[in-house]
Amino acid sequence: MQKSTIQFLLINCFLAIVLVSCGSVTKNYTPKKLDKTSIEVPYFANSRTDYVYKTNITVYGHELSGIFIAKKINDTTHRVVFTTEFGNKLLDFEISEKTFKVNSIVSELDRKILINTLEEDFRLLLKKEYQIQEQFENEYFDIYKSVDGDRDNYLFFSKKGQKLEKIVRASKAKEKITITFTLENDNFAKKVVILHQNIKLTIELNYFKSE
Amino acid sequence: MKTKIALLILFISGNLFAQEQKMTDAEIATFKQDVNVISKKIKTLSTDFVQYKHLDFLSKDIETSGKMVFKEPALLSWQYKKPYNYSIVFKNGKILINDEGKKSAVDIGNSKIFARINKLIIGSVSGNMFDDKEFTISYFKLKGQNLAKFIPKDVTLKKYIKQIELTFDKEEATVVQVKLLESSEDYTRIVLKNKVINAKIDDSIFTN
Repeated sequence: MQKSTIQFLLINCFLAIVLVSCGSVTKNYTPKKLDKTSIEVPYFANSRTDYVYKTNITVYGHELSGIFIAKKINDTTHRVVFTTEFGNKLLDFEISEKTFKVNSIVSELDRKILINTLEEDFRLLLKKEYQIQEQFENEYFDIYKSVDGDRDNYLFFSKKGQKLEKIVRASKAKEKITITFTLENDNFAKKVVILHQNIKLTIELNYFKSE
Repeated sequence: MKTKIALLILFISGNLFAQEQKMTDAEIATFKQDVNVISKKIKTLSTDFVQYKHLDFLSKDIETSGKMVFKEPALLSWQYKKPYNYSIVFKNGKILINDEGKKSAVDIGNSKIFARINKLIIGSVSGNMFDDKEFTISYFKLKGQNLAKFIPKDVTLKKYIKQIELTFDKEEATVVQVKLLESSEDYTRIVLKNKVINAKIDDSIFTN
């Protein structure tokens, strides 16, 4: 009897530890009363703007570079193209919250795992509206939680200035993707870094003004 | 009736603006001869370039510019200076890249597609790529210029480039514009200017 109680306690302790570490995404944040139920992100939302960035991709120690181009082509969809510096198209797709269509891809990049990863990354980057369920804060940020299927997206607004500076996509247990924005103004990001926590992939975008 | 008039207007204006005129066989022979004579003389070539990337869904072409240097037999440097610093050197079967100070090298010794691209770039700039085995070529006259259109025969190359158009200055018989078409809507247009032929160029230019 005593033995089974100890076992029970041990299991409970174990569970408690697992649960605490499961909740690690928000464990350092303080819950706060919800002050809004939806958030709009303006950085890629203007259909009149050609979003053109020099891009550097680091994947498992390999460096790739080129040009990233995104444009909102209708209410729900963005067209996204990657080219080399010479202008050769590497990848061309159309993406919305629910749809994803590859227009063209060079055979070297035509791998399902890569395409799925980019789809998830750019859906997150280009997403305009988030429904908010919970709110937190820490020393520097107001943090809004938006549930997205089996993932949660956390939007980090600087307390100083109330600007969206970071989006974290996480499972219940840990962070998967972090997007950080360096802003030119309220509606435009001059630098974007997409960092993966579970695979060695970083995508850096630096805006350039065409001559 | 209205449609007929509209069609007529379209037809007339189309004819007015259609500057491309097919060359006769004799004209093709002379043109190829002129270009071959010039390109055989080219030992070195340096030129400024402006690159316009046209994607049909964008409101404006993406413009980048820089300097290109070529030295016989196969040293080539493309240097983008605006709006970013990026240079790429083709040398001894290697591609050397310098991306805002970040350096990398790719060995292309055994890559057939890169060897072909290298040959293509040098051919485009020097004008000497009238290879009927590689391309289906058609020839046109423009005002003060000649135009050659190259459709790749190789299936792999065709996947990347649908057509290459080289525009030549009629007097100098050298290339003034390279247009690489990926599809009917999307292309890269490179305008070459301030061309200097056979100036002394040191090999040290081709380091990165």
